[in-house]
Amino acid sequence: MTEAGRPTILVVDDNHDNAEIIRQYLEAHGYPISVAYDGDEALTQFELVRPSLVLLDVMMPGRDGWEVCRIMKQHPLLGQTVRIVMVTALDEWSDKRQALQTGADDYVEKPVDLPKLVKTVERNVAMLRPQP
Amino acid sequence: MLLTDSDSPVLAEAVKLLDGWHLERRAESSVAEAVDTLPEVHAVVLTDGNPGVLRSVIDVAQRRGVAVIMGCADDAGRRRAAELRISEWFFLPGTAEEIAGRVRSALTRTEISGTAVADRVGRVEYEQMLYDYLTGLPTLPVMIERSRALIKERGELIVLYFNFVRYSKIEEIYGWEKLDAVLETTALAVREFLHDSSLNTSRVMVSFANDDDFVFFHVPAPGVAAASDAQITELVGRLQVFVGSKIEEAHGEDIAALFDIYVGRSHVYYNPKIRFERLIYRGIREAANSAKSIEERERGRRVSDLRSSLRDRGVYIDYHPIVVTDTREIFGYEALARGVMRSLRSPEVMFEVAAEADLIWELSRLCRSRAIEGMRSRLRGDELLFLNVDPHDFADPDFNVIESSEPHRVVIEITERTAIKDYPKFREHLKRFREVGYRFAVDDAGSGYAGLGSIANLEPDFIKLDMSLINCIDTNFIKQNLVETMVRFANDMGAKVIAEGVERAEEYATVQSLGVHLVQGFYLHRPSHGGEAPAAGVERFGAAN
Repeated sequence: MTEAGRPTILVVDDNHDNAEIIRQYLEAHGYPISVAYDGDEALTQFELVRPSLVLLDVMMPGRDGWEVCRIMKQHPLLGQTVRIVMVTALDEWSDKRQALQTGADDYVEKPVDLPKLVKTVERNVAMLRPQP
Repeated sequence: MLLTDSDSPVLAEAVKLLDGWHLERRAESSVAEAVDTLPEVHAVVLTDGNPGVLRSVIDVAQRRGVAVIMGCADDAGRRRAAELRISEWFFLPGTAEEIAGRVRSALTRTEISGTAVADRVGRVEYEQMLYDYLTGLPTLPVMIERSRALIKERGELIVLYFNFVRYSKIEEIYGWEKLDAVLETTALAVREFLHDSSLNTSRVMVSFANDDDFVFFHVPAPGVAAASDAQITELVGRLQVFVGSKIEEAHGEDIAALFDIYVGRSHVYYNPKIRFERLIYRGIREAANSAKSIEERERGRRVSDLRSSLRDRGVYIDYHPIVVTDTREIFGYEALARGVMRSLRSPEVMFEVAAEADLIWELSRLCRSRAIEGMRSRLRGDELLFLNVDPHDFADPDFNVIESSEPHRVVIEITERTAIKDYPKFREHLKRFREVGYRFAVDDAGSGYAGLGSIANLEPDFIKLDMSLINCIDTNFIKQNLVETMVRFANDMGAKVIAEGVERAEEYATVQSLGVHLVQGFYLHRPSHGGEAPAAGVERFGAAN
């Protein structure tokens, strides 16, 4: 948590334009934002920045969002508390089942509807365990 | 030092905000050279968009670990910055605060870019490989390195292989979150037990990452004889009881009843002619095989337990209330068959043994008749009996429509987990029962990836949601979305949705808000047989929340 009490969000998207749009919009809502452009960078930032929430694009070259989600949720220190929102279209029942298996907490559909994204962020922030 | 090609006064102000920095200006064409030669440059702010210049600056900067920040005149400039993978950018002219912020952020990003990223990620993965993330126990490579010298010195070690069975069943029924929690409890309990045991001389505990088996290495302390077989047998007996009680304490008796542990052992003597790793792996394999044979012996014993249970009708029924979500009135009971013999207490275990011994029909018949016998004394006039029936039971010639004298009060539960091969034939069976008044529920609905189509095929009157969807549904929005979809689907079909495994007030409130019609779970009631009042469960669990 920052001084302002707003939790830090890590935005992961290999499309720089998308990442930038989301960053600016969420920053305007007062959230400190970190950005990563691929899975490896996301994992490193995850350890450095220790975000409370991760917005994770699924379709990325290299490690995809599912793999990144699984690794983050298994992190010995941070995995228990972080909330992960997948950015993808989960149409089918089976897609959502798969999302549950990787440990994801929520999802937003692509292309991202920004006001809806903020609502999604807010409801996940409300679920964060109080920090010691 | 901050290097720039811009002469804007905003940059000078930005540098003031960066503690201890100073600004250096260079003409666009000599920026790349300056980055390469001035050792104290940490960041570059570029404002001119000449692509050739940009590229050469970025090349040098990346090599030297210098952060590049780009001031962009317009959207085209921003896109170019993104394409070139520049660490940070801003729109010109920018404010001092923003530029200073971008510089700081670019610096953290630059520190971890390129090979550093790969190294770090590699390290994280490596550590995850060495230490099991759930139990925190070291994995085999760590253990071998740690104990090499010790084992050489003592000349022998005992390998104990702990085979925990049916953990995959817990995952299948309750979901992986539950299994993770149970594994954590198990590892803690095993560690606590061994810590206080007579083997606590010199030992290493190992877990196989992401699996549910553990290996324990006991290296005798100097001057102490290695543990005897009798000692180990006695120890293992107590361990099983200890771990079982810890699991029951933390996760309830249904899960504890599923739990079984078989421990195999082997004795490894150090031999300098054989590679150390090979000795260890051989020892583990031998111990694993011995665990397996103990398991098989135990199975044989259980089959004979089952045969005598079938002979003596040694099955009793627990009735688990299903309530109307909004009013909490009792709507019906699910009949849960349990073995009278301790080894067959869990219905999952009982049916597993029956399947191995080819006694499924016999056991199913006994369970059904017991459940229907109990209806008269246990259920009031309008309450329904939910009866678990395996799809294969329909092929049993003894399973027929005259099973109960009140078919309109019986709901037959069919699990989604068992694949139905011949749908037309199966629907024929269902029709036969439906015609005389029986109703149907799809059990464990949504457990697989099959989706709603296979449920629609059975035209159920009730849909029982898989427990893994209910566990922690209050904090998981994907689960909420799935349950919402199911409720809508059920409403369209005229079916009712039952949420099973509701254990906490938050879960109850969530399924209620999602429109789930009926609820079953420890939060409201525990399963009971005999005359025990179900309200006891409400006190025990409801009041605590």
